[in-house]
Amino acid sequence: MASIDRRDFLKLVGAGGVGTGAGFMLREAIKHPVENLVPYPVPPEDFSPGIATWYNTVCSMCSAGCGITVRTREGRAKKIEGNPSHPVSQGRLCARGQAGLQVLYNPDRVTTPLQQTGERGSGDWLPLTWTEGLSQISGRLGELRSSGQGGAVCLLSEGQRGHMHGLFEQFMANIGSDRLVYYDYDHPHPLLAAMNRLFGTSELPYFDLGNTDYLVSFGADYLGSWLSPVHHGLGFGRSRQGRDHHRGRFVQIEPRMTLSGAAADEWIAAIPGTEGIIALAMANRIVSQGGYQGDDADAWAAALEPYSADAVAEQTGVAAETIARVADTFAGTGPSLAIGGDGAGRHSNGVDALTAITALNYLAGNLGIEGGLIFNPEPVAGQGAAARHASYRSMLELAEDAREGRIQVLIVNQANPVFTMPAAAGIGEALARIPLIVSLSSFMDETTAMADLILPSHTYLEAWGDDFPEPGVGFRAGAISQPVVSPLYDTRDTGDTLLAVAAAVNPDGALTAATTEEYLREQWRAIFERDAPTEEGTAQAQEAIAAETVEAAAEVVAQAAPEDDAAADAPANAEAAVAQVAPAEGAVATNPDPAGWMPDAFDEFWNSLLRAGVWGENTRAEQGPVTVDASVIDAIGVDAPEFAGSSETYPFILQPYLSLNMHDGSGANLPWMQELPDPLTSVVYGSWLEINPETARELGLRDGDLVDVESPQGTISVPVLTFPAIMPNVVAMPVGQGHSEFGRYASGRGANPIEILAPQVEPETGSLAWNATRVRLNPTGRRANLVRTSGLSRDLGRGIIQTTATGEAEEHASTKLRSIPITVEPA
Amino acid sequence: MSFIDDFLASWREYREPGYYDGFDYHWTMSVDLDRCTGCGACITACQAENNIPIVGEDAIARGREMQWIRIEKYWEGEFPDVKLRFIPMLCQHCDAAPCETVCPVSATYHNQDGLNAQVYNRCIGTRSCAVYCPYEVRYFNYNNHHWDAPLEQQLNPDVSVREKGVMEKCSFCIQRIRQAKDVAKDEGRRVQDGDVQPACVQTCPTEALVFGDQNDPDSRVSQTMNDERAYHVLEELNTAPSVVYLRKVETDAV
Amino acid sequence: MPSDARPQELTYADVNRDVVRSLVETGSKYYITLACSIGVMLTCFFFPWFYQLYYGIGAAGVNHPSVWGTYLASFIFWIGLSHSGTLLSCVLHITNSEWRKAMYRSAEAMTLFSLCVAAMMVMVHVGRPWFIHWAVPYPNQMEMWPNFRSPLMFDVMAITTYLTGSTIFIYMGSIPDFAAVRDRTTGWRHHMYVVLSLGWRGTDLEWHRLRWAYTFLAVLIIPLAVSVHSIVSWDFALSIVPALHQTIFAPYFVVGAIYSGTAGIVTVMYFLRKYMNFEQYITKVHFDNLGKLLLVLSLIWTYINIVELFTGWYGGTSGEIEALRYRLFGYYAPLYWEMILFCAVAPLLMISKRFRTSFVPMLILSILINIGMYTERFLIVGTSLSRQYLPDAWGLYVPSLVELSIIVGSVAMFITLFLIFVKIFPSVSIYEVKETLPEPEPDTTTGEPEWQPTH
Repeated sequence: MASIDRRDFLKLVGAGGVGTGAGFMLREAIKHPVENLVPYPVPPEDFSPGIATWYNTVCSMCSAGCGITVRTREGRAKKIEGNPSHPVSQGRLCARGQAGLQVLYNPDRVTTPLQQTGERGSGDWLPLTWTEGLSQISGRLGELRSSGQGGAVCLLSEGQRGHMHGLFEQFMANIGSDRLVYYDYDHPHPLLAAMNRLFGTSELPYFDLGNTDYLVSFGADYLGSWLSPVHHGLGFGRSRQGRDHHRGRFVQIEPRMTLSGAAADEWIAAIPGTEGIIALAMANRIVSQGGYQGDDADAWAAALEPYSADAVAEQTGVAAETIARVADTFAGTGPSLAIGGDGAGRHSNGVDALTAITALNYLAGNLGIEGGLIFNPEPVAGQGAAARHASYRSMLELAEDAREGRIQVLIVNQANPVFTMPAAAGIGEALARIPLIVSLSSFMDETTAMADLILPSHTYLEAWGDDFPEPGVGFRAGAISQPVVSPLYDTRDTGDTLLAVAAAVNPDGALTAATTEEYLREQWRAIFERDAPTEEGTAQAQEAIAAETVEAAAEVVAQAAPEDDAAADAPANAEAAVAQVAPAEGAVATNPDPAGWMPDAFDEFWNSLLRAGVWGENTRAEQGPVTVDASVIDAIGVDAPEFAGSSETYPFILQPYLSLNMHDGSGANLPWMQELPDPLTSVVYGSWLEINPETARELGLRDGDLVDVESPQGTISVPVLTFPAIMPNVVAMPVGQGHSEFGRYASGRGANPIEILAPQVEPETGSLAWNATRVRLNPTGRRANLVRTSGLSRDLGRGIIQTTATGEAEEHASTKLRSIPITVEPA
Repeated sequence: MSFIDDFLASWREYREPGYYDGFDYHWTMSVDLDRCTGCGACITACQAENNIPIVGEDAIARGREMQWIRIEKYWEGEFPDVKLRFIPMLCQHCDAAPCETVCPVSATYHNQDGLNAQVYNRCIGTRSCAVYCPYEVRYFNYNNHHWDAPLEQQLNPDVSVREKGVMEKCSFCIQRIRQAKDVAKDEGRRVQDGDVQPACVQTCPTEALVFGDQNDPDSRVSQTMNDERAYHVLEELNTAPSVVYLRKVETDAV
Repeated sequence: MPSDARPQELTYADVNRDVVRSLVETGSKYYITLACSIGVMLTCFFFPWFYQLYYGIGAAGVNHPSVWGTYLASFIFWIGLSHSGTLLSCVLHITNSEWRKAMYRSAEAMTLFSLCVAAMMVMVHVGRPWFIHWAVPYPNQMEMWPNFRSPLMFDVMAITTYLTGSTIFIYMGSIPDFAAVRDRTTGWRHHMYVVLSLGWRGTDLEWHRLRWAYTFLAVLIIPLAVSVHSIVSWDFALSIVPALHQTIFAPYFVVGAIYSGTAGIVTVMYFLRKYMNFEQYITKVHFDNLGKLLLVLSLIWTYINIVELFTGWYGGTSGEIEALRYRLFGYYAPLYWEMILFCAVAPLLMISKRFRTSFVPMLILSILINIGMYTERFLIVGTSLSRQYLPDAWGLYVPSLVELSIIVGSVAMFITLFLIFVKIFPSVSIYEVKETLPEPEPDTTTGEPEWQPTH
């Protein structure tokens, strides 16, 4: 081979390099011109979205009964939205409602019938077939029934409404027992009692937040956990900024700032249990200033005489001027609204306090008007359910019966009293005396862990049901709950289980339906046939019913907030939302036009009901003048609250409040809820004890210091968190954590304040006065892992959240500004 | 030197707010702080829609929370004259986004709808965008995430699941925008106001969030932008955000 | 100058002998040291890194506000350390500083290896290093280019250029030495040096071209080196993070880089002198001169630090003030004051000539300075990111074990590379040292190799 010398080599290398470069340049040059140096990378918008199917059903994460729309793809539920045509949620949903998917897909569900083989609570479970499981319970129930001991069967369930309540009732009737007990930790017994006392109604009223101009809330966390937070949130937003030139104002009176307190324009700290006294002082002011001109004004004045603002200022911790000012504004602004919630109602004087608070609406003339308190009609179905709701006292009676052996079989359906009742009630020990406990729960919670037999139910996204929201929205509305996915596991609809048992125990009973679906169909047929033409089908009814489908949705929306500017587009919005998320037709099912009523049109009605998920009558009944009985006026008055424990030994009043994420603990097994920072403290995955920063400094406590919270009834350990908006002698703690069972996300996490509550009850209703326990704090010297997502919660004057006040707005004018003056009612 | 002049001109133009007005859509969100109650529904809605992983307690304790929208809270004053204010903080989709300039591989860029798009499969994980973002709304996948079976069945098929080493953030639910645009295209029209809402906007119980097209003068969001309460967070940084906040009204009645 | 820098008794032959011996005569100590450093590198760098590759960046302590951590601090540190090598060598070459000649080779090697380690730190830092090539502009069918507006992209460019320049510079300067060693070795070493010396014969033309090219490169590299660290600083300064968004950052980084690099040279020279038997080549003169340089750099560095604090304070925005406050009095304040002690106060000792000419104190001081400089980089990354605009998003960054281990491992990697280097490259420049010696008698150059390999 000819030798190549170095020069040749270099030449070749050089020539090669140049040639390569030139070739590359040429190739680049003759290509189409490259427009951008940085061409667009393809973003995820390149995805072609698949086709989703939407099902309307009802949220059962709390008792509000929001209508929801579930998006499914390939048979799997993917996302829950509010149902735009449902009058409660109106297309909106809270965090807990969103997390409903994790109830369905929870890794810790009970997937098959189980039998406890070891000792109770040992956790030795043997999987069964449904046939075996059902025959076990039916056999036992059959024995009891045939031996005339049917009354020894108790069905303890979470609250049921609508036709499901009827099914439960009939089931118990079939067994021959009257022990149908609903138990919800936060059932509003005191509020119902107050409503009953004042107005003789057994329904919760509709609080029209959306149209109110001045709301005074006495310890009602209406945006967080009280009654119907999503609907209240809608009202709050509309009252604030949804109406032109008109901004509603919100006052919150409570010892510890709740989510609603943070949202309020004015937050007034009051000593726990004195909310009702403040309300009476306001009433006193209104009456004495001539703000109330009714016939019974003198009676009121006499009854309220001891409650002058000056007299109560010291007792309540609220300055007399403040009370007077709020009272004057309340009476002088129309419509205004006073609401009392768990903060006021869960004391020994709870019903009296709520009566006093609700009476303010009477005095200020807020009854039956938009923006005030609107009475609800009796629901179409589910009457008598309220009477089945057990108070703390009746649960104690149940426990006593269990101890005395008067209960042979306990069927538990989703209720978890072992967790949500104080240790002082001894419910766990009482239940242990019951020979047979059958749980229908979907999860292994504390009560289910004590069961002998688990017949797991579907979650609400797999099950049938219907719901008539309570509190309603001022007119009759209902919603159907239907499966959105096929069952994931070997579980059954609660109704199906009960029907199967009923059929086995008493084949001749009234319950003839084979499935819940069939049962519901029959019940709804009754509703359908209710409007069968009686020849006098009135024009009015036709008019009411004429508004169908999308317009009806809009109507419902508009009805809730007719003056709403934003809601002026709400029809359009609702329409758009419907177009986007829901079937376009049949947004609301209504009863058919009586004129064209056909007996065989029921299938059509039923299908439209399933499609819309919502049924409504769409008319708000005229409400006549309301009078309050003179005897009620005479009896009005609020005693000083009683607390368990002396103030010397136990210097702090414990306020266990319902957590926004976990509610009464039923949300603790949802990872999204564990991971959602608590709105006021940013804590995730745990419990904490809120304490005033000053008090903490006096006690030498820092955030994260573990303290033993000791009440007369017991002790729990929990880390301290300084909280700027809590009274110095009050400590607060969220309910919801501290599960010993309930799956991997919940168990062994945090502490449960309910455990150490004293068995203090409100005497009239017997409901637990959960705010009436005193505690003391014993520092342990240890630190706990307090996980928070926030850094420093002070903005250091950086103007991150900017505020504006009336009249100042021009200063902030930017170049793109188009002036919409905001006016606020002068104080 | 015309080349340099051109370059400078287009650079300046790019930096000018309003550059994206020339395009079809300019998606914008407004947040009414007077309505926001801080309830956190938006957070969970976003987690559900966008396959945001559950990172667990330990990760959050180490400061690795993953929430494309979060609620910041600021206390004002001391007891008893104390106020708590909330502000939802999400990707501001800045028109002059600092994060876009810094990414060495252009994994984040501005698309023609005014969105700050994050291209997950282009991201190499330098995390510099998170440093450059003054709003701290970019979240990094420090490890691969796991869904305990069967939680993974909930995952949204329209949204990808991100692997370790990738930055992610709010996309204004770009998959929904895409769907709305597809529908509008099939029907031969523009996307109209209300056709599309991100998950957070859709769920917000107080209707504090409004989403729409800034280029459409009649859209609700355009009107809120003209509200005299409108402002941008950290306006002094001149990032030209596409999220508009409406000032909280505080009357201070006392 | 020559008379100060070079012991007169050395001859050309001595130089050849000593240097070649350092290459071919390898004691067990060397192997033990090398084995140790390789071991540490594997266990402390590669093992944790592979774990991190498997697990994700979560293996490090980085979190939501502080997404950057010690990896980036290490990156800046190593880039900084790289600075004085080639840069100093170039400057001194151009200014004809004779005392440079004994030390520049090892200084340049430092540059090279710290750049290599810095590049590794980039690999460790990014979340998906398997796609790191996307940061390099190469034509591809997707027409995907890197983002040339990104300061990180500037970085890639600057560092690769600097790495290339430095490599060529050190290699070019070594060619005559390779030739010298080639002529004095046998076996595989001989073959290796034959290739490495590129046929160098020592003709006048070759020498002329070498000198010319060498000076040309030296002139080229000086602005390059300054630009590299300026550009690294822009990674931070171009952000709008309070306390990072500062115009002073470019000079601050450059000075800091030269400062830590010079201290690094002192450290390396101490060990070369001690363990490679270069006592006669690396003398008090070098330490004295480097000490003077260090002193000046320390004063400049201190001044810039004061200016940085002043601009923060004078800026007066809440963000800047808080960043300042946090740095001076916050969680990491002890580190800040440690840095001030090591980098601003302790170097004042070098005012004394006695101190400058004592080897061990200078070694200790040089190590302290580099610890202080590492701290500085850590503070820049760690404290600023955790205190940005939104207080609610503030956080705290604490390095994880993996990160700490990788810091140790990266030092081991540097040492390993250096240990390998000293056995391949003549770590003291033979020909430039000879230039400082008196011309030998003509007949001494014609004899046998002065030193014969033992095998």
